[in-house]
Amino acid sequence: MINDKNSQKIADFIKNWARKHSIWVLAYGTGCGAIEIPPTMTSRYDAERLGVRGAATPRQADVLLITGYLTTKTLKRVIRVYEQMQDPKYVIGFGSCTINGGMYYDSYNTIKVLDKYLPVDVYINGCMPRPEAVLAGFGKLQQLIAEGKANGAQKYKDDHEYYRGNLRKIIGNKYEMPLYNW
Amino acid sequence: MREKATTLYIGPQHPGITGNMMVRLKIEGDTIVKATTEVGYLHRAFEKLQEKRNWLQSFTLMCRFCVPETDPMEELYARAVETIEGREVPERAKYIRVMVLELARLASFMLWYGGQNGSLGLYTMGQWSVGDRNYILDLFEELTGGRVYHMYIWPGGVRRDLPKGFEQKVLKTMDYLEKRLDDYDDLMFDNAIFKKRTKGVGIVDKETAIEHGVVGPVLRGCGIRSDIRIDDPYEVYDKLDFIVPTQEGADIWARALVRRQEARQSIRIIRQVIDMMPGGPVYNKIPNPQKWTLPKGDAYVRVESVRGEVGLYAASDGGLNPRRIHVRGAAYVHAITLLEDVLVGENIADVSAIMNSLGTCPPEIER
Amino acid sequence: MKEIKADLISKIKASFDNVTEKDYDGNRLDFHVETRIIPQILTYLKVNLGYIHLSHISCVDWLEDGEFEIVYIVWSPEDKLKVFIKTRIDRETGVLPNIDMIWRQANTYERELKEMFGIEVDGLVAADEFLLEDWEGLPPMRRDFDTEAYADETFWHRPGREDAMDVREAIIERSREEIPDFAKKYSR
Repeated sequence: MINDKNSQKIADFIKNWARKHSIWVLAYGTGCGAIEIPPTMTSRYDAERLGVRGAATPRQADVLLITGYLTTKTLKRVIRVYEQMQDPKYVIGFGSCTINGGMYYDSYNTIKVLDKYLPVDVYINGCMPRPEAVLAGFGKLQQLIAEGKANGAQKYKDDHEYYRGNLRKIIGNKYEMPLYNW
Repeated sequence: MREKATTLYIGPQHPGITGNMMVRLKIEGDTIVKATTEVGYLHRAFEKLQEKRNWLQSFTLMCRFCVPETDPMEELYARAVETIEGREVPERAKYIRVMVLELARLASFMLWYGGQNGSLGLYTMGQWSVGDRNYILDLFEELTGGRVYHMYIWPGGVRRDLPKGFEQKVLKTMDYLEKRLDDYDDLMFDNAIFKKRTKGVGIVDKETAIEHGVVGPVLRGCGIRSDIRIDDPYEVYDKLDFIVPTQEGADIWARALVRRQEARQSIRIIRQVIDMMPGGPVYNKIPNPQKWTLPKGDAYVRVESVRGEVGLYAASDGGLNPRRIHVRGAAYVHAITLLEDVLVGENIADVSAIMNSLGTCPPEIER
Repeated sequence: MKEIKADLISKIKASFDNVTEKDYDGNRLDFHVETRIIPQILTYLKVNLGYIHLSHISCVDWLEDGEFEIVYIVWSPEDKLKVFIKTRIDRETGVLPNIDMIWRQANTYERELKEMFGIEVDGLVAADEFLLEDWEGLPPMRRDFDTEAYADETFWHRPGREDAMDVREAIIERSREEIPDFAKKYSR
């Protein structure tokens, strides 16, 4: 429908502007970080004024917030949840332990580097990140969306074999993951 | 006509505000006929990691055991180490510890207010109580530098003395929160929906409680007066004046009433502690942590958290690292065998309210 | 407290053989017993002496002795006394008696012992998996399981940790940024 460059640009701008202002977060706190989500969402910090609010199911959500370490048992479920989410979708890694393992660097049951398994758009560091940091992380994500740079979902489609291979290395062949068919 | 049983999965995506765990329900119509819990989504292997760290390094892992209420865990570790080593704690540090522990209890009660009501669909309470909880976290931030993880109560005392004018700030916050607790009563305990949804639901009677080793508000909710702060007093609790509330109902409503009174008792204790606080040092210095060894031996210490008795078994082999640290969470008892038994015969819609009421805290179960 | 302890010791010794006690300051008393009498002694404590609360079951791996030490901690609300029942079993061949008919929550502890230490519990009825999923190899809480080697082998590590540099030194070296004076006194 839109074929010339300028109209495409305008359409992208409007699309990104709309996406930026309705970030719905899936209420799946995977680790300790989930404790700072209620303060972020409630009266004092009130993330809802930025368009950030909770969504109950993966189908309705735009952002998967990985709040902390992922154990191998949760990892399978989280990837399943991510694949159930519909475009546009973004991933925020929350806390030091998603970046480099944090204090669990030698634990046998947690993954250390989140972006090997999921395409992370924004990392928020700290243990635990304060609500202000969480809001700043959402602000950064909004900025990336507006600039059209938050393209983790596209990366996941393109390099699907890479991400799935990394997952297989950990979980082996015992756990059946369904095919990802958008 | 007997209806066909269906399987329903609740979780692992936060059932209520409790944390990640899964309950597999077998339902007939709306009624649960069998419940199976599945945990392990938050297992970080703390107890293994602590065997690889020295005695001070493993202290920093301690507060991560149970996220909603971190200070009792620090208190446990500090007291276990002090018991094995025979280290004295200055008098002032004991009072500060009690104050911090009660502030943590109060903060955790605020979160419970939000969770218990949120599980029944009354979201206004969450906006109020979680918002007010920030005032307590502000105090923690001024005292320790962190909102959630404090690492303040450590072996030998507390990490630093109270800042100037901190007591007045605490008292001011307590005055405010006491007023707010009355507002919560109007919203929660005068609420016909809350009454209807909680009375006669999730019953844990006396026999079940003894058989399952139930502790804390759940035990007090069925009429047994039991509190570690009175039975096995630690720090300066034996010098303080407070009551342990009990109720006879044994349902969610009774446990909510117990917690309602306990939150007020916490405020009362904090005021007493600030009134009685002596001067002096707050820290009995530990040796160089890289060379700090404890004598061979073991200890089991307990603390009353909002969920009930939390214990820690620590064993030392005389080396630099702990031989074994093993936490006994209240939720470890409540959220697995007891939950499986209590859920039978209940309604699907009440599952997350019951889980909240029993004090489910998966990070504490899985460690 | 002294009388309560003496009374308890005499009662236990009259009913069971091969029991050695160890007294501690405060409200703690230890008994070292044989593994096979664990259910009997716990039932006796619960039913006859009022130790109605099972507080904890823990396990310590004494690799150098080739034994696990199992600790049962029971508590009496009347006596206000913590009683530790300790027993040792062989690391490879030891079997623990099941006590979940005495206290229902012991089931959870036994599941954890089985999974984390690989201890066989006689007659335990429960699901196979507790905290781990699809775990193969040595039970992870055993002393000879090396968690760091396992983590290195299984997971990726982001580079930058291996030199174990002080944060302040790293800042100076990598970004040529001066650290403020107040931070210098904490340098190693």
